[in-house]
Amino acid sequence: MFMEVKKHLKLIAKYFAFNLSALTEYRTSFLVQVFGMALNNASFAFFWWVLFDKIGTGIGGYGFQDVMFLWAVASTGFGIASVLFSNTRRISGMIMTGELDTYLLQPKNPLINSMAARMSASAWGDFLYGFILMVLIKATLGMWLMFGVGIFTAALLMTAITIVGHSLTFYFGNMEVVGGTLWEFTITFSIYPESIFKGPVKALIMTAIPIGFITHIPLRLAHNFNWGTFLLLLGVTAAYCLLAFALYMGGLKRYESGNLIITRM
Amino acid sequence: MRKYMSIAGISIKNALAYRANVTGRVIFYFVFIFIFFSLWSAIYKGNEIAGYNLTQMVWYICMTELVVFCSGSSIFGSMNHEVKSGSIAYQLIRPWNYIFKKFAETLGNITFSASIFTLMAIILGMLFVGPIKNFDPIAIPFIIVSFILSISMNFFILMSLGLLAFYFEENSPFYFIYSKLLFVFGMLLPIEFLPLWAQGILRFLPFSLITWAPAKMVVNFSFEHALAVLPLQAVWCVAAVILALFVFSRGIRKVNVHGG
Amino acid sequence: MAAIVLDKLSKTYKVKVREEGLKSALKSLVKPTYKEVEAVQSVSFTVEAGEMLAFIGPNGAGKSTTIKMLTGILHPTSGSANVLDYNPVKDRRKLSYQIGAVFGQKSQLSFHLPPVDSFRLLSNVYEIEKSEYEERLTQLAELLELGEFMNTPVRKLSLGQRVRCEFAASLLHAPKILFLDEPTIGLDVVVKHSIRELITKLNREENATVFLTSHDAGDVENLCRRAIVIDHGKVALDMSVKKMKYDYLNKKVISLKLKDTAAIPEMDGVTPIKVTPYAAKFSVDTKIAAIGRVLAALDSENIEDITIEEPPMEEIIASIYKGNRKGGEKT
Repeated sequence: MFMEVKKHLKLIAKYFAFNLSALTEYRTSFLVQVFGMALNNASFAFFWWVLFDKIGTGIGGYGFQDVMFLWAVASTGFGIASVLFSNTRRISGMIMTGELDTYLLQPKNPLINSMAARMSASAWGDFLYGFILMVLIKATLGMWLMFGVGIFTAALLMTAITIVGHSLTFYFGNMEVVGGTLWEFTITFSIYPESIFKGPVKALIMTAIPIGFITHIPLRLAHNFNWGTFLLLLGVTAAYCLLAFALYMGGLKRYESGNLIITRM
Repeated sequence: MRKYMSIAGISIKNALAYRANVTGRVIFYFVFIFIFFSLWSAIYKGNEIAGYNLTQMVWYICMTELVVFCSGSSIFGSMNHEVKSGSIAYQLIRPWNYIFKKFAETLGNITFSASIFTLMAIILGMLFVGPIKNFDPIAIPFIIVSFILSISMNFFILMSLGLLAFYFEENSPFYFIYSKLLFVFGMLLPIEFLPLWAQGILRFLPFSLITWAPAKMVVNFSFEHALAVLPLQAVWCVAAVILALFVFSRGIRKVNVHGG
Repeated sequence: MAAIVLDKLSKTYKVKVREEGLKSALKSLVKPTYKEVEAVQSVSFTVEAGEMLAFIGPNGAGKSTTIKMLTGILHPTSGSANVLDYNPVKDRRKLSYQIGAVFGQKSQLSFHLPPVDSFRLLSNVYEIEKSEYEERLTQLAELLELGEFMNTPVRKLSLGQRVRCEFAASLLHAPKILFLDEPTIGLDVVVKHSIRELITKLNREENATVFLTSHDAGDVENLCRRAIVIDHGKVALDMSVKKMKYDYLNKKVISLKLKDTAAIPEMDGVTPIKVTPYAAKFSVDTKIAAIGRVLAALDSENIEDITIEEPPMEEIIASIYKGNRKGGEKT
């Protein structure tokens, strides 16, 4: 079991090197995409700066620095997820077109194998942007520490949530829209102050779809660290990853029984 | 003219075929409005900021998003594709015809999106904050004209940016930067939030004229505003068409000279 | 030694049935009706190790469904498959180390990088030790005549070079069974020929069992000793290619170059194909008219040149498909 994990980590590393080589073959295009994405994200920083300047107060207990921290974790976390596993967003597509079969023929776990097979160039822009932001906002030590952990839990959670959405394709036919929407949800809800969300929405993003754990919880911990919440963060991340994996593998069994082939015949 | 109408008819059929696509966009629109409703609700405490109250702010974002979602922005991608694939070289017709042919083709898509998103905008506005106080129906014709100008302006600018594929291998940054400028200079916040000197400049640039101009007409109509923006919108609309014609004719000449 | 054994392998799908019209569309939402489609019906055959088998059939015949069951991608509804002593369903992972595939339409190589980079990645996927990988690569480079171009990005390679690299990619892990799906599709005549030679060489040198699916009759004719024709989910024919060519159609085509216009002999079993002032072409059904008798009926003084041919493989295969359709049962 441990050997298997080690093998797959090695595979991810190999894909990383391989994919990066392929992208940097086209130096200008790669740099343009990276830079473009960083600039893209910066426009939102401008928005927040204008807004905070105009209203003069905090928003739900958040100051400008806090919102920027959310952005930094989300951006770099997204960067890691899309650099390593860019194909996560294409899971539904791969199932519907049969591209998944290629990975089934290989002696590796099809989820990991298929996800790691592609890398997004612009995601490097997201990855770097978070670091740049952290420096520009003069982040506190607490923020840096939580950033260090948060970017990985964020990457894992974003990936896991997307897998859950797309795995529904195995059970209900083309759920590309669901997967795509969930992905957008995840990013959108994680970059606004926690307290603007109330009631059922708040409950949702703290439980069933743990978006609140991607950026908001790390910010809380950056200000007020406590072991309980920290372990909860790690626990939720691990649990959701297992859920995503189980859902996908379960769906794969259905795929192999051939019930989905109907749509492709 | 009739030729263009028939093309528009076909494109409505095509637009209907993209039902799944629409579902995704509708959901995204809803999420976006919901987020901003939540944000403004948290900020506003019955007051006014930069001359706008909560109700106005929510309707504002509904309207600016409406423009962006209806502009047939797929034109950027399709122009990109046609240039790169070389199929544009087979369009042996005059620039004028080509530009408007493309517009007619997208018109179906635009009309379809416009119907859906206008409905959504009104429903969500009513749902989240209720009607705009003192809304004067006299504003409606002005609003309609303003929206038409905004959507057309946006469309032809995007088309021009897409056609830059004649000159640039990787022209997606143009799209990114343009859409972010739209975001920042009028879509997310009315320009009244920005310092006065910035407002002064922005009133003359296309970005705010595409988003803020029509949206303000809905949430805070005044004849002064209409008089200030409509002529400028018209000017920029024409300029955008000219830009598209220019980029196309120069670009196609380049292609023919170099053999694609 | 048997490499692949199929025993009454079957696959049935449940497909939603829906007729035209709005009413049916609504009905199918509320109370869907299903139809059972028997994609593969009780197929049994054995493939020996090292055999080169052509697995052909019209589109929708059940070929890819069968192959998917052999590779473990699909679970059979009933019956069993035994591939290299593995149950493809239970031991898919283990089996995958032993099988390779070349799909004519899909590529295993990165378009932007040199083939060697893709090879190295695959060596990782298949867990090939570095020393073993390097030895294997040298071996394959010789076998497939891969030169320095292994280090050139794939996008800069010629089609022939690319295809040879695709084969190398699928052979790195020394698979015992090679599934080839339309390997020569889209290739020009010269490249097609060299790829066919390559496949023959591979079969000989590696002793890999080759399972070829192709719509190209030339592939079948030049590569495989045995052909299994699948139609409507059943084995329609299982015989040696030679027998198929010579015996199945019992037909010979005779082309004559004449000095003077002559009539084609009027005999039972002789069917004219084309007559011009100085040439005549006709087919002979050798079940009805013996070739010797037909030749005897010709005016040998008048003949300048004569060619006797078997019908092309395409025709043979087409008639097998057609014949099955005529004699085939309800759809």
